[in-house]
Amino acid sequence: MMTADVQANQPPAPARTLTTGRLPRLIDVWVALGALVAAALVFAGFGHLDYVAGWLALGAVLYLVAIGILASIVEGRRWATDRFVRSLVIVAFLLAIIPLVSTLWTVVEHGITTLTPQFIFNPEKTQFDRTTFKTVLVAGVWPAIVGTLIITGIAALISIPIGLLAAVWLTEYAQPNHPVRKIVTFLVDVMTGIPSIVAGLFAFALFSLLVGPGTFNGLSAAIALCVLMIPTMVRASEEMIKLVPLELREAAYALGVSKWRTIVKVVLRTSVAGLVTGAMLAIARVIGETAPIYIAAGYTRTAFNADPLHGAMSTLAVVSFRNYVDPDPTQPAVTQAEAWGSALLLIIIVVILNLIARLVAARFAPKARR
Amino acid sequence: MKITRSGSIAAFALIGTLALAGCAATGGTNTPSATPTSKVGLNAIDPSLTGTITAAGSSAQVAAQTGYSAAFASVATGVTLNYNPEGSGGGRKDFIAGALDFAGSDAPLSADEATQATATFPGGALDIPVYLDGVAIAYNNKDASSLNLSAATLAKIFSGKITDWSDPAIAADNGGKALAAKKITVVTRSDSSGTMQNLTNFLGGEAASDWAAGPNLGTLPQIPGMDLQKGGAAVATEIAAVDGAIGGVDHSALGSLVAASVEGVKLSNDGIAEAMATGFAIKPNSTPGDLSGGFDYAKIKADTKAYPIPLVSYAIIPAQFKDAAKKKLVVAYLEFIASADGQKAGATKANSAELPDAILKQVVATLATVK
Amino acid sequence: MTATPAAAANGGGPRNTGAPTGLAAMKVSKVGDRVFLGLSSGAAWLIMVVLAGVAIFLLIQAAPAIGANWQQNAALQDRTSGFTLGFANFWDYVSPLLFGTIWASFLALLLGAPVAIGIALFISHYAPRRVSGILGYLVDLLAAVPSVVFGLWGIVVIRPFLGPLNEFLNSYFGWIPLFSGDVAKGGSTLLAGAVVLAVMILPIITSISREIFLQTPSLHEEAALALGATRWEMIRLAVFPYARSGIISSVLLGLGRALGETMAIAMIVSPKLIFSVQLLTNDNPATIAANIANKFGGANQTQADALIATGLLLFVVSFAVNLVARWIVGRTSTGPRRRRIPTRKAA
Repeated sequence: MMTADVQANQPPAPARTLTTGRLPRLIDVWVALGALVAAALVFAGFGHLDYVAGWLALGAVLYLVAIGILASIVEGRRWATDRFVRSLVIVAFLLAIIPLVSTLWTVVEHGITTLTPQFIFNPEKTQFDRTTFKTVLVAGVWPAIVGTLIITGIAALISIPIGLLAAVWLTEYAQPNHPVRKIVTFLVDVMTGIPSIVAGLFAFALFSLLVGPGTFNGLSAAIALCVLMIPTMVRASEEMIKLVPLELREAAYALGVSKWRTIVKVVLRTSVAGLVTGAMLAIARVIGETAPIYIAAGYTRTAFNADPLHGAMSTLAVVSFRNYVDPDPTQPAVTQAEAWGSALLLIIIVVILNLIARLVAARFAPKARR
Repeated sequence: MKITRSGSIAAFALIGTLALAGCAATGGTNTPSATPTSKVGLNAIDPSLTGTITAAGSSAQVAAQTGYSAAFASVATGVTLNYNPEGSGGGRKDFIAGALDFAGSDAPLSADEATQATATFPGGALDIPVYLDGVAIAYNNKDASSLNLSAATLAKIFSGKITDWSDPAIAADNGGKALAAKKITVVTRSDSSGTMQNLTNFLGGEAASDWAAGPNLGTLPQIPGMDLQKGGAAVATEIAAVDGAIGGVDHSALGSLVAASVEGVKLSNDGIAEAMATGFAIKPNSTPGDLSGGFDYAKIKADTKAYPIPLVSYAIIPAQFKDAAKKKLVVAYLEFIASADGQKAGATKANSAELPDAILKQVVATLATVK
Repeated sequence: MTATPAAAANGGGPRNTGAPTGLAAMKVSKVGDRVFLGLSSGAAWLIMVVLAGVAIFLLIQAAPAIGANWQQNAALQDRTSGFTLGFANFWDYVSPLLFGTIWASFLALLLGAPVAIGIALFISHYAPRRVSGILGYLVDLLAAVPSVVFGLWGIVVIRPFLGPLNEFLNSYFGWIPLFSGDVAKGGSTLLAGAVVLAVMILPIITSISREIFLQTPSLHEEAALALGATRWEMIRLAVFPYARSGIISSVLLGLGRALGETMAIAMIVSPKLIFSVQLLTNDNPATIAANIANKFGGANQTQADALIATGLLLFVVSFAVNLVARWIVGRTSTGPRRRRIPTRKAA
């Protein structure tokens, strides 16, 4: 009787739906817009509205702050933290896309007009005119393309299997206290930071000792690149192989599969996507190296050389660098264009390699993958 | 355009036939003494020469080497030059190691290096001047459409004692009128270069009281605010981009920048050649025929037509080659460089000056002694 | 009765393909095991020999320069390149370089590592499933860009871009030592170099971290979510502990790249041999790798040896950092532990 009256006099409790106590759906968008407008106003107030990056950055900061405060008022601390972290992560991603787009755009903008079939498939030519004594440079990077593929190809062919096999040994066979394992781990750790020019010096000295003083060839440069690639390859592969769950291996052993078959067909196949990533990272790192190449393989501007065992070889990265640092005094535009054009070609080649690698990985990876 | 092309083709054909005939007449050898005196420069090249010349070194020479080799290869089509502009020091190192046919270097071999070279080349090595250019003082200041700087003022600017364009010393060099106040940013190279060596030689010679660091320095001593860039081209670009910048660049890297007059002399190819003719003195050297030398800046200053900061670059070759065919090729190439045709080809490509005849004669004489 | 042992010895699974069965199969797998073990341990030995060879070669090259009397050695006092003039000894020369290297790499990691891990998290846990593959590929594209291009981009885009920021920081925050000093008009500041370095190491850290995040056991993740954790709490509870060792490895690989980066820094930053933390001026401490790249072309043999000796110090730095990192991982990780390999008794 009393309780019934009390209950009847109280206003009905609000119905709790799934969205009670939560911010509306598109709140992120609205707050973002608001933050950007506020930032633009601040910058306009200082008279620097043209510094777009500035007010975008300020807008991002304001957005993060605003969404954090708003969410902690409406939703509570835990959900506010979650929302804040999600916004932070999205901002981080956008932050990465900007330099990516900017870099690619810069190279494409400066280099795309240079990429004619004449440029890509011909060696560089110098034409001397006897009447005017003028030498005209006609840019062409075909020898450099071939040189890049040969030198990087040899380096990859040597480093990737060796690095992979070594990583397999380190994770699957070697006991944690094995002395060789400790030494290899130590050396790999130490060598990840080697400056590339030093690797080039080593390769040059090695070939001077083995073949004869002053040997410049493509193989020497490839060896220098191997020294750079192997630590990355070993380290990355080790991490990827370690990730394969123990259960998978033990299931295979339980079925009586031999150890090497387990490794090849179970462990390596499961981690193939990660291994391919590691290999591509290693290749991408060395394909753009300049110093080790020109120290170990010399430099040639016009000659075409497809023999890695004899004679100087140049690569796209070296050509790009040289044209930038030592432009032609009478044809600066040509060498400038050549620098950007060869850089763009290099990126295109790596993109193609990356695509091929991903297709290979997708083909071999086990189906049930996230 | 068409006429010139077919004219050149006809000229090539004519020269080629003559050269072949000449070669046949002299039995295929092409030593200087056997060549008739009417064959100089391009005409003296033996078109049957083939091979690859491996060279490396000074980046100042690289454009000129492109010109020299293109002209040379227009007659001797089987010859390729691989010139790696890794830097004078690298060139000398590789030469001593026996990796190169010749090295391009802005500085001759030091006494130490010459001794090391005798281990690889028992006869020793020869430094031969092949390239002449000047050090331009480039600046970026819209208030000064023309500028004159004395050695003392330059020394003070590059050592950081003068930091503003309105300084009275600069005004004194330019008829007394002071420029508007603007900070001076000295731009220079982060790698060592013959340009700086020659500049500091000049400053050490002509402004020793203001230039404490001394002559013959490949890198300028650090001063606060000094802007260092990698490579001469980057220095030029930086000077063009920074208002109030000044720096020493190769004449050939000047591009659209304005160069200051130094000691009242404007920068010009004639001025540089005059300086070389007046001021270059070959130093006495242990290896006979070695033509390394230095500039007497007092003499250059006394000559009012001479540009005060010349720069000479050398080719370093062994006095005795191990391989006869290689010797023939390299000597023929260098002889071409030491001809009027060669110098013109290189200077046209590199926007640089040409070595005077007196020096070229000495170069040819030295090349004749190479075994 | 006899079928079971034969099937068990069959090398696993139903085999109707004419592959060897029974004892023959066991022989094959024994040979296969030995061959594979030989190959992989051979690879490890080869790496040990080669890398040790590199280290020894460098030591031999560098030793004369470290031990020489710098004040009196004619080659080191040579003025032609002049960069080793006026130093009392090797340590006098290399200490500002060491400082510069560590400082620049630290800045690059500070700017790049958190962003990289954030991106990896985004791709693995926040992005819509269909899009994450493409996004991952896009970030990998950054790894495809050669360092020369980053140098060019740094000069053409980043330097002018940071110009207004430099002025702003210097005028309003110049009281902080980091932002004090005379602003570099051309923008060849350490800040520009650190930003470009951060962009360069980003793809390395991101790709490896992404792979690791993707490998987190979904059971752990779903358990956390089932208990009512928010997405962030789930990541904190299930993903990070599992991934800690891998993240640290990826950061170390990124650090290795930053330490050894030669060309981009050499092209962008105006280098000097000084101890300075000012980010916005032309007076920036040089890094070891960039210094080698700049000075090597003009160096005589002994000076080149001195440069190689500075490169050796990079090894020491690398080793020290890796040691610390492995110690951290060993103490705190709950992820895939290094376990004793079950040795297979010869069957």
